[in-house]
Amino acid sequence: MSDFLKILENEVQLAALAFLALVYTVRLGWIFRFKTRRDRTAAVGNERAGAGYSLMNVAMPWAMESTRKRPGFYAQFVVFHIGVAAAIAGTLIIPYAPGLFEIRPVVILFQAVVAAAFVVGLVRLVRRLTNPVLRRISSPDDYFSLVLLIVWFAAAVAALPNRPEKGEWPLIGYFGLTAFFLIYVPFSKICHYLYYPFTRFYLGRSLGHRGALPPKGTKGRKTRRAGEDAA
Amino acid sequence: MKREKPSSSGVVDSPLDARTQVKAREDGLPSVAEGRLRTYEPGDNRGRFLDLLAKRISRPLAVSMTACVHCGLCAESCHYFLARPDDPTMTPVWKADQIRKIFKRHVDWTGRIAPWWVKAGSVDGDEDLNRLKNIVFGTCSACRRCTYNCPMGVDTGLLVRFTRGLLTELGIVPEGVFNVSRDQWETGNQMAVTEEDYLETLVWMRDELRTELGTDDVDIPVDKPDCDVLYTINPREIKFDPRSIAHAAKIFHLAGESWTMPKWGWDQTNFGLFSGDDRLGAYVARNVYEAAERLRAKKIVISECGHGYRSTRWEGYTWAGYDQTRPTESVVVTVKRYLEEGRISVDPSRNTEPVTFHDSCNIARSGDLVEEPREVLQRVCADFREMFPNRRENFCCTGGGGLLSMAEYRPLRLEVGKIKADQLRATGARLVCTMCHNCVDGLNDVIKHYKLALRVVQVLELVSNALVLPASGERTKQSS
Repeated sequence: MSDFLKILENEVQLAALAFLALVYTVRLGWIFRFKTRRDRTAAVGNERAGAGYSLMNVAMPWAMESTRKRPGFYAQFVVFHIGVAAAIAGTLIIPYAPGLFEIRPVVILFQAVVAAAFVVGLVRLVRRLTNPVLRRISSPDDYFSLVLLIVWFAAAVAALPNRPEKGEWPLIGYFGLTAFFLIYVPFSKICHYLYYPFTRFYLGRSLGHRGALPPKGTKGRKTRRAGEDAA
Repeated sequence: MKREKPSSSGVVDSPLDARTQVKAREDGLPSVAEGRLRTYEPGDNRGRFLDLLAKRISRPLAVSMTACVHCGLCAESCHYFLARPDDPTMTPVWKADQIRKIFKRHVDWTGRIAPWWVKAGSVDGDEDLNRLKNIVFGTCSACRRCTYNCPMGVDTGLLVRFTRGLLTELGIVPEGVFNVSRDQWETGNQMAVTEEDYLETLVWMRDELRTELGTDDVDIPVDKPDCDVLYTINPREIKFDPRSIAHAAKIFHLAGESWTMPKWGWDQTNFGLFSGDDRLGAYVARNVYEAAERLRAKKIVISECGHGYRSTRWEGYTWAGYDQTRPTESVVVTVKRYLEEGRISVDPSRNTEPVTFHDSCNIARSGDLVEEPREVLQRVCADFREMFPNRRENFCCTGGGGLLSMAEYRPLRLEVGKIKADQLRATGARLVCTMCHNCVDGLNDVIKHYKLALRVVQVLELVSNALVLPASGERTKQSS
C-alpha cells in the first residue's frame, strides 16, 4: 500500500472527522442560542412518553399515514440508510480492522447492502428529477447531496474488498470521497440527522404534554363503516 | 425575491386591502392608537420583517426551518394538494419553503454564504410580503396534518402561524383577519357582541328553556361567584346559534351543576391563534382566566369550539404567561363525566339518523380529545359511524386557520373542500357532528357547495335531544 493511501485512510479521515465534529459543535451551539418557552398548562399526557414515541417514529412506519400508505417508500428509506451505515463502517473497518474484510461473505454482504442503497439512490434521483413537486422544491444541494451519495456508494462497492495490491484507485476514490463527504456534510441537507432529534423531541414533548402522542389505544371501538349493519 | 412560476390558484396575487386599517387609524381606535393592533404603513417593512424574524424565532421553529429534507412526503397529507395534484405550490413543503428560504438567507449560515445552493432568498419589499401573506393565510388552514406526516417532525403548522404573526405585526394581513382582530381587541370578543346583546340572549334562552322544561328552576346565571363551573362560549353562539347555549344550560340544570357564565371574559375563541399574534392571544385568554379568578370558579368549561379549546386550554396560558391553576376542559368532557356518573340519563333512540363525527384539527391534532366525543356519541346516538380517515388523520373542514373570515380565499377553499366532501359522502350519514363552531360553518359551506344531503350538528344538540327528563320531584332534588 502506498504512503499516500495510508495517509488518506488515516490522517486525512481523522482530520475530516475532526472538522465535522467541530462544525457540528458550532452548529449545536447555534441551535441552543434560540430559546424555548415553558409550557404553563397542566399536562394531560406524558412529555417523556411523547418525545420517546416521536423519536422512535423512524422505526414505526405504521405511525404515519404517509409511510403506512407507501411501504415501498419506507423500504427505500431503510435500505438507503443501512447502505449509508455500511459504507461508513467500511471506512473504519478497512484501516482499523482489515481482517474482517478478509472474510469473503462479509465483504459480499457489505457490497450487497451498499449496492442496494446505490440502486435506491438512483431511484430517488429519478424521482427527484421527474416528480414535478420535487423538482419545484429541490435545491442544487438536494441534487448534489444525492449524487454525491450515489457516487460514494459506487466507490464503496468497488473498494470494500480492500485489495490495494490489485490497484489502489478504488480505495483512493472511496476514501477521497469520504473525506470530501465529511467536510461537505455539515453544510448540506445530509446533516438532517443532526436536527432529527431536535424536531422530533420538541414535537413529541409538546404533543406528549397534551396527550396526543403516543396515540391513545382505540381498543373496543364500536363504530361501523358506511353500509355496515347498524343493529 | 426571485419570482417563481405563479400558482394556478390565483390566490397568491390577491392584493392587500388596507381600507379598514386606514379607517381604524382615522377613527383613533384605542387598540390602534395604543399600538396593540398594528396597521399597515408603507415603508421599510422588509427591514422590520427581517428584524422580527431574527428576534422571534424559537428553537422548535429554528429546527423546523432547518430540518426539512425535501422528501415531498407531506404533499399527500394536505387537502389543498390532494384537490389540486398538479399544483406543487399547494404542497406544505413549498409553502413552508417560502419562509424557510428567507430564514436561510438571513439567519442560517449556508444560505448566507451560498444562497443559490440551498435556494435561499429574501424579500424585496411589500409586494413580496403580500405574496407571502397570501400563501400563509390563503393556502393553508394550519391544520397540522402534514406535521403528523413528516418523517422529520417538521412542524409546518407552527411555521405558518409564526409567519402569519410576523405579517400581522406589519399589518400585511387579509382584511378579514384585521377586522376580527380589531373587534376582539376593542370589545373582548371576536364578533363585537355588546354586553346588552349578550345578556339579552342569555335571558331569551333561559326563558325558552323554562318554557321547554315547564319549570322556573332553570337559570343561566351570570357572574355568580363560587360556582364549580365557569362556562365560556363562542360569540357565534350569541349571534347565530343561541340554542347551543340553551342545550348546555339544560344539561347543566339536569346534572345539578353549580355553574355560571361571566359578564366579561366569556369569549373563549381567540383570533390570536389564527393571526399568529401572541399579544392578542394573551389578552383574550387572560380575560377568561381572570374571569374565573374574579368569580372564584373551580373550573373553566369551554363550549364546543376547536380553536377556542386549543387557545384556552393549551396555548393561552403560555401566551398570557399565566400558570394554570384550575382545571380547564371542554364541555364534551364535562358531559361525558355526567353520563359516566349517572348525573344525566339519555336515550339513544331519540337520535336515529346515522351520525358521523368530524374531528376538529385544533382539538384532535393540537389537543387531547379524540375518544371523548365518540364515547358521548356512542351513548346518545343509535347509529354512529366513522368517517375515514378519522381522529388525528381526519381532514380539515376547510374553515380552519381563520379562513372563514377571509373572503378572498373562499373559491380556493371550496375547491379543496372536495376532499372533505368525498369523505362525508362516503359515510352515508345524514348528520355530521362536530365539536367546533368553525367546523360547523366550514362543513356547511362544503355541504352546500357539493350538494350533500347532510346536516351539521354538535355534540350538545344530540345529547340534549337524547336527554331523558326525570320526574319533576327528582329534578328539584337534583337541582338543590
